[in-house]
Amino acid sequence: MPELRAYQHGICPRSERLVQATRDVERGRTTPEAVDEAFRADRQALLAVQREARLDHLSDGLLRWQDVFRPLVEASSGLEAQTLVRWFDNNSFFRAPRLADRPALDGLPPELSRDGDVPEDAVATLPSPYLFSRAAETTEDRDRVLGDLVRGVLRPAVEGLVGAGFRVIHLQEPWLPFFGVEDASWKPLEAGLAELHEASGDATLVFHTYFGDVAPHAERLRRLPVDAVGIDFVETDLDALPAPWGTGLLVGCLDGRRSLLESADGTAKFVEHVAEALQPPEILVSSTSDLELLPREVADRKIRLLGEVRARAAEALE
Amino acid sequence: MTAGFAKPLLTHELGSLAKPNWRVKAVAGRPLEDRDLEEARSWGRRLGVDGHEELVELLGRAPLGAEDRAQVKRWSSRYGVRFLETVGLDVVYDGEQQRSEMYAWAIAHAGGFEWRGSVRAFDNKYYSKAAVTGPISLRGPYHNEEFSLLRGVATAELKVPVTGAYTIADWSFDEHYFTDADLTGSAAARHARRREARRRFILDVARDLIRPNLEALIGLGAGWLQIDEPGGSTAPDELDLFVESFNETVAGLDATFSTHLCFSDYELFFPAIEGMTECRQFAVGFANYDSRELGRKPEDRPGYRVIPKFRDLPYRPALGIGVLDIHTDFVEPPELVRDRILHAVDVFGEPGRIHVIPDCGLRTRSWDVAYRKLESMVAGVELARRDLGL
Repeated sequence: MPELRAYQHGICPRSERLVQATRDVERGRTTPEAVDEAFRADRQALLAVQREARLDHLSDGLLRWQDVFRPLVEASSGLEAQTLVRWFDNNSFFRAPRLADRPALDGLPPELSRDGDVPEDAVATLPSPYLFSRAAETTEDRDRVLGDLVRGVLRPAVEGLVGAGFRVIHLQEPWLPFFGVEDASWKPLEAGLAELHEASGDATLVFHTYFGDVAPHAERLRRLPVDAVGIDFVETDLDALPAPWGTGLLVGCLDGRRSLLESADGTAKFVEHVAEALQPPEILVSSTSDLELLPREVADRKIRLLGEVRARAAEALE
Repeated sequence: MTAGFAKPLLTHELGSLAKPNWRVKAVAGRPLEDRDLEEARSWGRRLGVDGHEELVELLGRAPLGAEDRAQVKRWSSRYGVRFLETVGLDVVYDGEQQRSEMYAWAIAHAGGFEWRGSVRAFDNKYYSKAAVTGPISLRGPYHNEEFSLLRGVATAELKVPVTGAYTIADWSFDEHYFTDADLTGSAAARHARRREARRRFILDVARDLIRPNLEALIGLGAGWLQIDEPGGSTAPDELDLFVESFNETVAGLDATFSTHLCFSDYELFFPAIEGMTECRQFAVGFANYDSRELGRKPEDRPGYRVIPKFRDLPYRPALGIGVLDIHTDFVEPPELVRDRILHAVDVFGEPGRIHVIPDCGLRTRSWDVAYRKLESMVAGVELARRDLGL
């Protein structure tokens, strides 16, 4: 039976109190110190929910991140955050990283450090090099940009994160399922991931695809030089995937974009079904995408549900 | 067609302005500070708002009761109209001063929805998101009161912004039409069921919420209604639903209808919007994607690349070109506005079918910045008119 772990990746939504605090500080109605305190309280509350849910790796929820690129962009020379661009097919926007020069991380930004209340073996999230290179504003060849971003920004970030004690490095990759990938771009992607895999040492490197059906790419995906590939099972048909899968599999089974809560029992049975059908050596259970597109209260419920799904699936797979 | 619609380089605002501190605090029942009163006084003077001292006196009595708070909102509307008239726009509204927010205001007057909480749009900007949980209905027309007030206050022509059906549906969670969460079985079949449910949801919003609200406005004499659809191109595979919802909303109604699209990959709207023949104008945010350098050649104006597609539509709508980036305090110089307009005229032709607008509502800017940006827009239009001999 496969090893089973569960964690919540990506940006988590801020609480109503924190939303109000960030709004107030912009309007001069509160102090930056009060906002810092609201961030701290929110992080602790989010960690408490994950602990209650008995998740295997905890996350600080990236609560300070304005989007998945921003801390890296602001901490790097050669990159600027500029134009607001829609985040795939969502009512949410990111500032596209603009390549002004060859990118280089000038030091691990505070948003990527592990605060004292986040335990070792936590999960860190980064944009995948393919997503980063495609979302960037540039006139350069994007495959070459991908290599530059890996060497100049993502590799030093991964090394810094592993050095700070993070045990799971989760790479978000919605671009590939949503927009597709040219045949010629697989090689640079594989090379970039190999470099990040090497930099991640003993940590688990996960390449998580979501917001689209990846069945047409499954043969290439399962041979990528990473420890696990994540699949959004709301979009991808389990029966269309090859078996045995042959590498770790992140089962994205709680919909990160819907407020309705899935059934714990039904979802655990689905995880069990995935394990039987694809026989991966390891299963990671999580949401299809990060939970940022949900209100915090709903996100907290999804995290608790994730814990239940993990417990029930583990019992069934014993 | 609304009077003045064909004026070359017609200018108008698009939606919301920031709510002044005095309005926010007074309506929230909070005490006001001297600087809030001074803000009301100085802007009242600057905009020539008749009787603004009455407002200052009213604010001086804060915290206020329910009727006085409603009065403050009405004052805010008067300020909004005068703001846009004073700056020199041809067509105005009130900067949506009486509404909470374009989505929240509609949902607050709809049956069948429940609030779920705040969701980020970008950076520290959030919106309150609801879920549809039952049959959709209009609890009561939700723009009548403001329109009735503005009709008596405005000297310029009015255009009423109304949030569109697709955006209302897209910005809501669905807990009623599609509740299937079973991941076993064919994903294709699940997606087909999801799409059919989505269509029913969107069209129910169009028929049972937006359309009766428009009918009420038209009954009061509204002549130009702008259907705001910032969510219009969110899902590239749903553009047919966006078009169908627009058509369902306005079919057979006697008014001028336009639509506002922003922060999208506008290429996606084609060819779907070829079917939106009742749409008399597309107001499109371009400046956000454009360079700040001067020049009217295509290579100088990367943000306006999609204009030929609007030009080549099989019907002849006007095109509202966004010339102000609403996400930044940068005040576009009149010469930059001029060049953006001249480029649009070069490509689109017919200045009589080109309207000049900000990319979107200016509510994320201070009144001072919004005013300077709009002033610059009007000055840029004058420069362009001179250049074109209009």
